[in-house]
Amino acid sequence: MDDTLQPQWNHTEQPLTLHTLSSIRSLLINPSTPKRIVSSILKTLTQSNLTHHTLNLLSDLATHHSSLSQLALDSLLRATDSPTRLAVDSLASVSELSFPQEFELDDDRFVSMCFGPSIPGRVWMLRNAGYMFRIRPALLFTVLLGFTKDPYPYVRAASLEGLVGLSERGEFHDVSMVKGCYLRALELFDDMEDCVRLSAVRVVASWGLMLSASSADMKAYWCNEVFAKLCSMARDMSVKVRVEAFNGLAKMEIVSKDFLLQSLSKRVLGNGKQRETMDQITSEQFTMLATSVAGALMHGLEDEFFEVRKSACQSLHRLTILNVEFAREALDLLMDMLNDDSVVVRLQALETMHHMAINGCLKLQEKHLHMFLGALLDNSREVRCAVRKILKIVKLGDLAMFKSSIDRLLENLDSYLQDEADVFSAFSHLGRNHKKFVGYIVKETFEEVEAAFEGNVEFKSARIAALLIICISAPLFNEYLGIIPPVLFSYAVTLLGRIYHAFSDIMDKDTLLAYLCEKSRPPSDSVPDINHGDGEQQLSLIEGDTPKCASNGVVDSKIGSQIMKEQKELTSYQVEHHQSEYSEVTVYINYILAKFPDMWQMIETGFTNEVLRSLRCLKEELASLKFDSLESRDALAFTLLYFRIIKLLVEVWEHLLPAKGLRSHGLGELEFKLGKLDRRIKELMSKFVGFSGEEELNILELILVTYALRLCKVETICVNLTFKRLASIYSCLESLLKERPVLPSNFVVELGKLLHECQTASINGASCSPLQFDKCLKLFSLKKFVFHGTIRQLKTELSISNNDSLHPFPFVSGLPVSVPCEITLHNIISKCKLWLKMSLDDGLVQYVFLDLDHLEDSGDVRSLVFVAPFYRTPKAHSFTLKVCISLECLFENVCPVQRYGGPKYELVPLCKEKQVYFSNVNKD
Amino acid sequence: MAIETLVLGAGQEVGKSCVVVNINGKRIMFDCGMHMGYNDHRQFPDFSLISPSRNFNDALSCIIITHFHLDHVGALAYFTEVCGYSGPVYMTYPTKALAPLMLEDYRKVMVNRRGEEEQFTSDHIAECMKKVIAVDLKQTVQVDEDLEIRAYYAGHVIGAAMFYVKVGDAEMVYTGDYNMTPDRHLGAAQIDRLRLDLLITESTYATTIRDSKYAREREFLKAIHKCVSGGGKVLIPTFALGRAQELCILLEDYWERMNLKVPIYFSAGLTIQANMYYKMLIGWTSQKIKDTYSTHNAFDFKNVHKFERSMLDAPGPCVLFATPGMISGGFSLEVFKHWAPSENNLVTLPGYCLAGTVGHKLISGKSTNIDIDPDTQIDVRCQIHQLAFSPHTDSKGIMDLVKFLSPKHVILVHGEKPKMDSLKERIHSELEIPCYNPANNETVNIPSTNYVNAEASGTFIRNCLNPNFKFQKCNSVDTRDSTLIDRNLTPELQVEDERVADGVLVMESNKKAKIVHRDEVLLMLDEKKQEA
Repeated sequence: MDDTLQPQWNHTEQPLTLHTLSSIRSLLINPSTPKRIVSSILKTLTQSNLTHHTLNLLSDLATHHSSLSQLALDSLLRATDSPTRLAVDSLASVSELSFPQEFELDDDRFVSMCFGPSIPGRVWMLRNAGYMFRIRPALLFTVLLGFTKDPYPYVRAASLEGLVGLSERGEFHDVSMVKGCYLRALELFDDMEDCVRLSAVRVVASWGLMLSASSADMKAYWCNEVFAKLCSMARDMSVKVRVEAFNGLAKMEIVSKDFLLQSLSKRVLGNGKQRETMDQITSEQFTMLATSVAGALMHGLEDEFFEVRKSACQSLHRLTILNVEFAREALDLLMDMLNDDSVVVRLQALETMHHMAINGCLKLQEKHLHMFLGALLDNSREVRCAVRKILKIVKLGDLAMFKSSIDRLLENLDSYLQDEADVFSAFSHLGRNHKKFVGYIVKETFEEVEAAFEGNVEFKSARIAALLIICISAPLFNEYLGIIPPVLFSYAVTLLGRIYHAFSDIMDKDTLLAYLCEKSRPPSDSVPDINHGDGEQQLSLIEGDTPKCASNGVVDSKIGSQIMKEQKELTSYQVEHHQSEYSEVTVYINYILAKFPDMWQMIETGFTNEVLRSLRCLKEELASLKFDSLESRDALAFTLLYFRIIKLLVEVWEHLLPAKGLRSHGLGELEFKLGKLDRRIKELMSKFVGFSGEEELNILELILVTYALRLCKVETICVNLTFKRLASIYSCLESLLKERPVLPSNFVVELGKLLHECQTASINGASCSPLQFDKCLKLFSLKKFVFHGTIRQLKTELSISNNDSLHPFPFVSGLPVSVPCEITLHNIISKCKLWLKMSLDDGLVQYVFLDLDHLEDSGDVRSLVFVAPFYRTPKAHSFTLKVCISLECLFENVCPVQRYGGPKYELVPLCKEKQVYFSNVNKD
Repeated sequence: MAIETLVLGAGQEVGKSCVVVNINGKRIMFDCGMHMGYNDHRQFPDFSLISPSRNFNDALSCIIITHFHLDHVGALAYFTEVCGYSGPVYMTYPTKALAPLMLEDYRKVMVNRRGEEEQFTSDHIAECMKKVIAVDLKQTVQVDEDLEIRAYYAGHVIGAAMFYVKVGDAEMVYTGDYNMTPDRHLGAAQIDRLRLDLLITESTYATTIRDSKYAREREFLKAIHKCVSGGGKVLIPTFALGRAQELCILLEDYWERMNLKVPIYFSAGLTIQANMYYKMLIGWTSQKIKDTYSTHNAFDFKNVHKFERSMLDAPGPCVLFATPGMISGGFSLEVFKHWAPSENNLVTLPGYCLAGTVGHKLISGKSTNIDIDPDTQIDVRCQIHQLAFSPHTDSKGIMDLVKFLSPKHVILVHGEKPKMDSLKERIHSELEIPCYNPANNETVNIPSTNYVNAEASGTFIRNCLNPNFKFQKCNSVDTRDSTLIDRNLTPELQVEDERVADGVLVMESNKKAKIVHRDEVLLMLDEKKQEA
């Protein structure tokens, strides 16, 4: 093909056919075309008569073949020598190439091309030359301004556009030039053609601003002037002109108050007394221009075309900053825009309000609320979101508005479930910004939340979560005022997973948990004693969203540092736990366990019910957790048991409190609870292994407290026994204490003294008066239990196959039967003494020792089959045997139980009782 | 030449609009309305003033009807069929569709209810409509060789138009009724910037300045929302065309946005039929409706259902549109009787109600008992909400339009004299445009523009192709309403383009006027000298 084409190209006299041109183009844009051919194409093109097509080909060539681009460019430039249409086209192609900066359009060529006979060429030059080429501003200005008088409307429009571009390029120091241009554009406001008026508006806006900037004295005057002129175009019949007029208004820098207010009223405002502040010139100017300003913005907001309404809303963005009174009146109109049928306009109106809120000039009033909050139920997600965005930063004026905002937000939540995360976030911000109002509603909120958690009313979880958020966020940036009951924070912990997103702008989940834990401490403890360096870098909260106004008082440097503080506390928590490589579960459990010491203080001050309530919630939260790994399950089981113990302890402790002592709690109840506590503690001690020394100390102290309680309150019969037990536990504790450098608590020290006294005074503890124990107990305070993650639960599973009430095992009365047990053991170590306890309904019990020594495999989980003999088969047709694996409690050295052939110590069941059915073979 | 304007109706009054303009030899009648307030000869314009010989076909070039309201079209059938005019009649498509409905409705009322003698029959209406040529917006119609007319959108009611007329070099606009602020269902008036000799504009609200409609709409919606959420029923008595659609779109929008499920009903009859017309005439509605109709026709009201009489006492909230608008009788009165006694319910009334109607009593009096007839008395306990809603422009709108068009002369019609006087004064003083407000049967003469055709020399034309601007600094005396005190301290930069100024008009006896370049003048003078 190359060979066939080449001779053809040499006949340059003949014009190239379209077919040839298209072949050339395909060769040019193909990257693998040999260079030789490309250069011959270039030669052909440059030699042929230049047409529009060859221009395009030349610029293609310059783009695709960089080595030849300079040559192509040169030939393109040669075409610009004469001021023809083609020249302008080629200039356009040059400017589109990537290296126009190497190209300078000199003054002569520029002028000759502008003045050339081709009108479209002139239009292109005027519109683009200023942007594309570096032309002396003075020359460009002269040419452009001159052509605003051109009889062709498109030339006029293009020269005006050129002037707009020129105004962006820099300052003109000659005021008369600027003014001349401005006045010329003003004249063109009366032009017959829409496109000219449109560009004239742009020129007036840009050059008018330049004019006002030229002299400081006259700035206000010129700004008002430009404002009025632009307003007069707000009633133009062309949509585009109106849009542009409002775009221009959005650039205003200063405008007198009266001009602004006039633009909102279609009636010309009287020359009233309210204008005392205005000086002579402004007053005269106002009288002159008032009619053209009148109602301009109002017309814009009422416009038929959404583009105009949107642009008008947008211009308020800027204008509302200029004057407070104007902002207030404009807000009335903006609120009505929320009724607009176009989503775009509604969004823009909200966007403007948001902007106003940031600048502190959004003063919501009662009358606005119906409209404003109504938009929370808007069917457009963006609109709802925009309203909430404003609610997050607005400062509401009074309690009624605050309350209705909450109500409407809750309605929003009801109607649009998908908004939950953002609604919660809005609640969190509302709370942070209006701590005072939160204080007013906290009582009723508390009652509602409490009722919900008590289960007295239907639990609307979203609603409760929202109410909790608003309460817990109130003290976030403020010193703790003591108005929010700490228990609310504990409730909030139970919903942590759901609500933490609401705080994600300032803290993560862990920090929030830490915050909640901290705040759920009683007030006395809440004064933070962490000291901060003053030079701490402040955190930016929400970029750009922070209201600037000081009156808002929400965010200032102090708050910044407070947030810092929150964060620091968090890090201390985090470091403590992340250093050790425990699982998330361990961390979580420790968070919860860390709360008990604080709760204990609340108990001492009499808040027993509150503490019980929060304990219950925490427990529910814990109980709802599901874990896969065995370790985690063990940890959970331990924590739950610990919870129960603390709960019992709290309930018992109430009897110690002086005020509550008068209450008619029966002694029986106390005894019952103490018994339960006793059992639980034994369970804790025996069913779990792997305590670290510290953990063991903690638990032993709990046991001591239990016995002391027993001695002090109820024990009258087995004082000696209890005393013995107490002493034995104490000795355990003492020995543990010796091993480690931990100071015993006051309670332990005092108890030690007491025990010593008693032991020296007499052999038994009978002589010890309950009052002495009471004294010791007063010193007790719950220590923080730090869970190290090594605790394992002893657990067994027992199953007996092929047996149920329909398929009983056969037996012969009086002869022993065998009970085939399949047993699985968890974490059972060889020193554990396991017993198979078999009992009949009549109370007959038989124990069989499970010897684990001959079990060969070792590990955390072991299985075995054990055939247990049962000797005392009754004389009956059938009987049921209850079988259970139990653990002998070895931790107490006292030896209360003496059974022949049975366990020496108390037993703790390790699995559920299993029923085994037997049926007599000799039924007659 | 002059433009001669004869006002046959709506001169210093509202009603029977009819203006005959003689412009460069063509006589055009704008509107042909009837006066609803009279039953005698004053009901129709005095057509004999057009042609004492009653030869209307020769006297008039055409008739132009702006919209279908009876005070603009009411006398048309009488004029064409009874008086015998058979020339062309121009109106927009919607007007052509709806005008016969209105005329027929009126004729029925006159004959059946009032028992009066009819001035025209149904056949007259049908025959009359055959003479009508329908036009589209911005369509330039060449009535004859010299006369061209063009319709521009006027808002007001569906199909309302302003008409531009050009005869030779004389141009004028007759506005009819128009609205400069948009409704929900209709747009604002829209017109090009033209070089007019005369603007004839309505001036119904010559001194009123209306506040934003948003506040009124907001109150209306709030009242209705409150009523229905309290389980009440809302009665909206309306006329079938215009207001009903406007309010319905407003409600529909609000319903959609707030996810309300309360049913909205239209009582059967004209309203349903009217909605059908609106659905077809989408091109004449507001921008928003035009923009969205491809996906959803705004007059396909989703929440609107047909009302059955049996639903009158059905429990639960609802909104009902019923005719007639002022509860003067018919279905709206029947519903009113049922619903008025409950304080949960709401009745919304238009801003203006004729004296004697129930609506008027509700607005004016605080009396809780209304006597419908001697036997019936209604204990009114329901809430009353008034919603002013006018499709006419206010005085600011008139001023804005006049300012935008900047005609050489303005004539005001369709208004009350004192208010028109005040507006006339404003146009005169603020815009410096001569303004007139003739009474009925008066004639106003104004000069018209006439251009002289002149030849141009080749040199001059070539000169005109080349830009030739100059800058000069001068102390301008033109103070385009500015008050800058130091205005004269800095000379102003001004641009002059002298290519046209270089021309010289040469008028020689017995020759056509000619424009030559000023350099040529000397040559021509030299030639003259030589000839001489």
